[in-house]
Amino acid sequence: MASAIAEGTQDRQPLSLNGVDPETCMIVFQNHWAQVVKILDKHDPVRSGGGTGVLRYGPIPGDEASAVQNYVEHMLFLLMEEGCGQAGAMGPILEFVVTENVMEKLFLWSLRRQFTDDMKLEQLRMYEMLVGGSRQPLLHHKPVLRPLMTLLSSCSGTTAPAVEAQLVLLLHQLCSILGHDPSVLELFFHASEDQGAANFLIFSLLIPFIHREGAVGRQARDALLCIMALSAENCVVAEHIAENTYFCPVLATGLSGLYSSLPTKLEGRGEDWHRLEYTDWRSLPALVQFLNSLEFCNAVIKVAHPSIRSQLVSYIYNGFLLALFGLWNLTFEEVMTTTAYLELFLRSVMEPALLQTFLSFILLHQHENVHILDTLVSRINTPFQLGTVSLGLFRTLTGLYCEDVMLQLILRYLVPCSHMMPSQRRVLREGDYYSVSAARFLSLIPACCLPKPRPLHTPPLDCILWSKGADGEALSEEHCMEFSCIIGPEVSMDVDYLQYLYDARDSVSHSIRACRVWSAPYDGYDPPPELFQSCPPEDGLGSPPRRTQGSHLVSANDKVNHLELEWDDSFDAVPCPGESEELQTNRPSVPAEPPKHIQEMKRSALMLIRGSYVEESEFQDDVMVYSLVAQKDAQDVVDRSEWKRQGMEPATSSPEKGAPQGQSPPSRPGEDLISQYEELIGALGVESGSPTKSQSGFRRTISPAEEDEVDFSSFSADTPEAEKTPSPEGSRSRQGSNVQAAPFTGPFISVLLSRLENMLENSLHVNLLLTDILAQLATYPQPLLRCFLLNTNMVLQPSVRSLYQVLASLKTQINQRVSARPDFEVLVAEAQRYLQAREEALRSHGEYLLENMPALPRIPPQARNAAFATVIYSEFLKELAAIAQEHSIQSHLPFNE
Amino acid sequence: MSANTSRKRTDSEDKIAQGEQRTSPPRAPFGKKQLPSIPKNAVPITKPVSPAPSAQSSNGTHASYGPFYLEYSLLAEFTLVIKQKLPGIYVQPSYRSALMWFGVIFIRHGLYQDGVFKFTVYIPDNYPDGDCPVSIVVSTCFVFYSEGSYVCTTVHFIMRSCFNWRRNHNHIWQVLMYARTIFYKINTVEPLNPEAAVLYDKDVQLFKSKVVDSVKLCNSHLFDPPKIDDPYAISFSPWNPAVHEEARERMFAHKRRPEDLKGLQVSGLSWVKPGSTLPFSKEENSLQT
Repeated sequence: MASAIAEGTQDRQPLSLNGVDPETCMIVFQNHWAQVVKILDKHDPVRSGGGTGVLRYGPIPGDEASAVQNYVEHMLFLLMEEGCGQAGAMGPILEFVVTENVMEKLFLWSLRRQFTDDMKLEQLRMYEMLVGGSRQPLLHHKPVLRPLMTLLSSCSGTTAPAVEAQLVLLLHQLCSILGHDPSVLELFFHASEDQGAANFLIFSLLIPFIHREGAVGRQARDALLCIMALSAENCVVAEHIAENTYFCPVLATGLSGLYSSLPTKLEGRGEDWHRLEYTDWRSLPALVQFLNSLEFCNAVIKVAHPSIRSQLVSYIYNGFLLALFGLWNLTFEEVMTTTAYLELFLRSVMEPALLQTFLSFILLHQHENVHILDTLVSRINTPFQLGTVSLGLFRTLTGLYCEDVMLQLILRYLVPCSHMMPSQRRVLREGDYYSVSAARFLSLIPACCLPKPRPLHTPPLDCILWSKGADGEALSEEHCMEFSCIIGPEVSMDVDYLQYLYDARDSVSHSIRACRVWSAPYDGYDPPPELFQSCPPEDGLGSPPRRTQGSHLVSANDKVNHLELEWDDSFDAVPCPGESEELQTNRPSVPAEPPKHIQEMKRSALMLIRGSYVEESEFQDDVMVYSLVAQKDAQDVVDRSEWKRQGMEPATSSPEKGAPQGQSPPSRPGEDLISQYEELIGALGVESGSPTKSQSGFRRTISPAEEDEVDFSSFSADTPEAEKTPSPEGSRSRQGSNVQAAPFTGPFISVLLSRLENMLENSLHVNLLLTDILAQLATYPQPLLRCFLLNTNMVLQPSVRSLYQVLASLKTQINQRVSARPDFEVLVAEAQRYLQAREEALRSHGEYLLENMPALPRIPPQARNAAFATVIYSEFLKELAAIAQEHSIQSHLPFNE
Repeated sequence: MSANTSRKRTDSEDKIAQGEQRTSPPRAPFGKKQLPSIPKNAVPITKPVSPAPSAQSSNGTHASYGPFYLEYSLLAEFTLVIKQKLPGIYVQPSYRSALMWFGVIFIRHGLYQDGVFKFTVYIPDNYPDGDCPVSIVVSTCFVFYSEGSYVCTTVHFIMRSCFNWRRNHNHIWQVLMYARTIFYKINTVEPLNPEAAVLYDKDVQLFKSKVVDSVKLCNSHLFDPPKIDDPYAISFSPWNPAVHEEARERMFAHKRRPEDLKGLQVSGLSWVKPGSTLPFSKEENSLQT
């Protein structure tokens, strides 16, 4: 402990007092002190003849100063080494120190020497050594404590880094003594009363260092945590901190400050980037610093007294979250960055109370009458990376096993049971004893991905753990084709399916255990479906999808939200042909302006429609978006249909500025895109009546093959009605199907399924995330959710799309690809090989590094996504089947036990 | 109890046995490998096995998943048995085959009071299809076979009752439950052992004494080693504090499951007030917003 007072001391430290007579020590101490006093007195203005002060005598000679220094070092060493006297009494040296007021005199001496930073440093070191090294308690004695407190308060506001470091070190030491010996607390608390200064000086002194980076900040936060832990048991301390200090506000507003210095754009991220990994943020000092402070908040909330905790939580909510995430008028790029930060914060925050603050902000806060959550959901469907990053955020959210989140996202739409046939409620209680659903999922595996006997020339390979994405979470996947185990001469058994079963076992049981704290089983009976149907929920929350037209403003808004949030879905959710017409004509429309915010999102989404860029004023200067557009254009062939769907929703404001020229071959300049898409909706209505469609019975987007035939120029701009406003026809049909008639499984499910339906066009990374989220959702044990996702026997309302239906429509799409491209199966095999190599690279390097990735397979770019998606698709089917099977043995009984 | 459910085996391939009757015990297959409990990189099946002749195999494409379905059906059935907490009945699948379960039933009152009967449940490999998917053979009571088949009678009752087996509606635990009631409630209509039935109707006292004798005889063979050589076969041994005391204490200590689980507590979250469907509705969490 005995860090040197001054450099010189270190050589002398080894000398040991073992066996030295205490009396001798005392005599030595007294002698030293006598020498020191001699020098002190010489310069004492009072004793040496009553001058007015130090200055008169000029500076103290250096040799005298260092003489004192040497004596003092020896004395302190003797003091430290002295043990307690009998029965806990002071040892003789300490008693001498107390009666002679040695410490105070020494402090005065350093004051007299003009109290430079060096003096402070010297004094601080002296106390640090004493406090840390003394064998008997010193702080209980006022003659020791008082000069210490004076020293500390004189150091407040110091700016010299060395002094700061030493000060914080000493404070840290004092705090840890407080932690061990609460009796000292009283002393500290009242020590400064005489000065009338703020109580609890050591605490106040630490506050300015809360957000400091580096070792000093870390030590200060450590010290503060000691006091926080103390506050949990000592109400006086807690009250003092909460009421008399600025601890909480400083902490919370500091977060805002640090946040505002974070980069607003994260550049140079790969296309597959979807969240901030450690490797990403460790290179951003500002982010590291922010996370340190956030972690500190987390720790404070964990250990501090409830009053401090609630104060801090409320400051963080009002001072940080509202202030920063409330800013929504950002560019695309900034929105994406904010989303990534939010996701990272959610992952960093461990303490339930703090997590609750973040979540309640996301779930309950409304910005311009739109819940943040709804906004985030709507972004899943946005182009560029924002959609991917949003998916990453939702993967984190759904991985929290938080009832409130799941309630708002999904369950509140399922609780009324309006998505299924009334008779099906009992099915919720039944288990799938014979793996019927699993069999149906597995039967969807396309022929080109089925396990086949391994060709002889292929070397046998072990099962491969294939973690999805670059996040290192070991979600195993396997290749179905070449690594199946051959059992017997002609029958092969899909060995990697075992791997899925093991993983499903872990994830399902994990999920079941996590959900034990939930308030209800969500089994179709509890909470009762009527709960949602009858009572109008407060402040617009949990609004039932089928509510009759709301009389008050909030519910109207809410309805609008649903309506608007499903815009992505309105296109492919056109129900069976006959019914949709009925809906269109019979349902009255609710004229409603979409919330401004959604309009913005839509507008930004509209920017990309077949490579054309409809510029909006906020984006005018955004060079970034331009470059993204250019980059995207290069590969838009594949993603086309997705963007198209972004553009399906007629915006209320028409894009007047037109597209930037030269980069949109298919669309003519000045063409009214909106009217094009109005037309498209019409065209699809026709489409959905075609024999193939009705045969399959699935509502889906036009299949890729068909899509290729869609001639965009045929929907030319001469439709007059779409100049400024959306056609009443279109909005009516949407409202009809979504708000009033069609049971609604919520925007989240809806957006996930429609992105899934587009799987063959999605990039590999989007598909990995998407299937990951859905598989995660499928592990939840709540019968309502589990049956909706996994029970293929359940009869849903005709207008409700199930996961199975979407998957089945994907199989049709894949089959079409296969028949359209003779070499498709070969491409899929290529993709499989690549994905396996990629996986091995990921495993052996532990992290995602571009240079370690295998070379992309020789798949033509326009078929690449589809080939990858086909592999992912069949693996996803296995994953789902395995989860369904695990549910059948783990959670097929009602909530009991 | 749940330890058994967490064990996974490759499902059985007892189907090799050709021409065996459904009710006869399947031959213990040799060289069968149990799956490791840790899944990483497992290549579990090394032995050529003929697949279950399940319905799916006919269409060829998905035959490879058939065994998984059977395995999980059985696991689900077994989980159901566990969850039913059948009074006095304990069941455990065999090590070698998921299609064979060992069980023991303790009769706590009635004519057969104090009887301890070991039994074996055989599940045919075409489960859950077929008429009577489950047969139970009481194995302890070889004596009864020669003496008058009192217990044998009941066993056949079980089988007959299951002729109307309907998948999805009937479960193995019901069969076990039925087996239990037969020890408590004698039914002499259409007896399979007419001698016993007649005796019961004509001379209950004699019947009773015969039963008591049988129970005694049966219990005297309680500590005999199990007839089927299987690590998970149920065997009894006299109380030996050195062996049993600790296990017994652990059983009593484990009564409180929630505490037991605390170590593994996974961080699920909920601020929903029970009975409410609003997020963050728990009072103690009112946010000062």
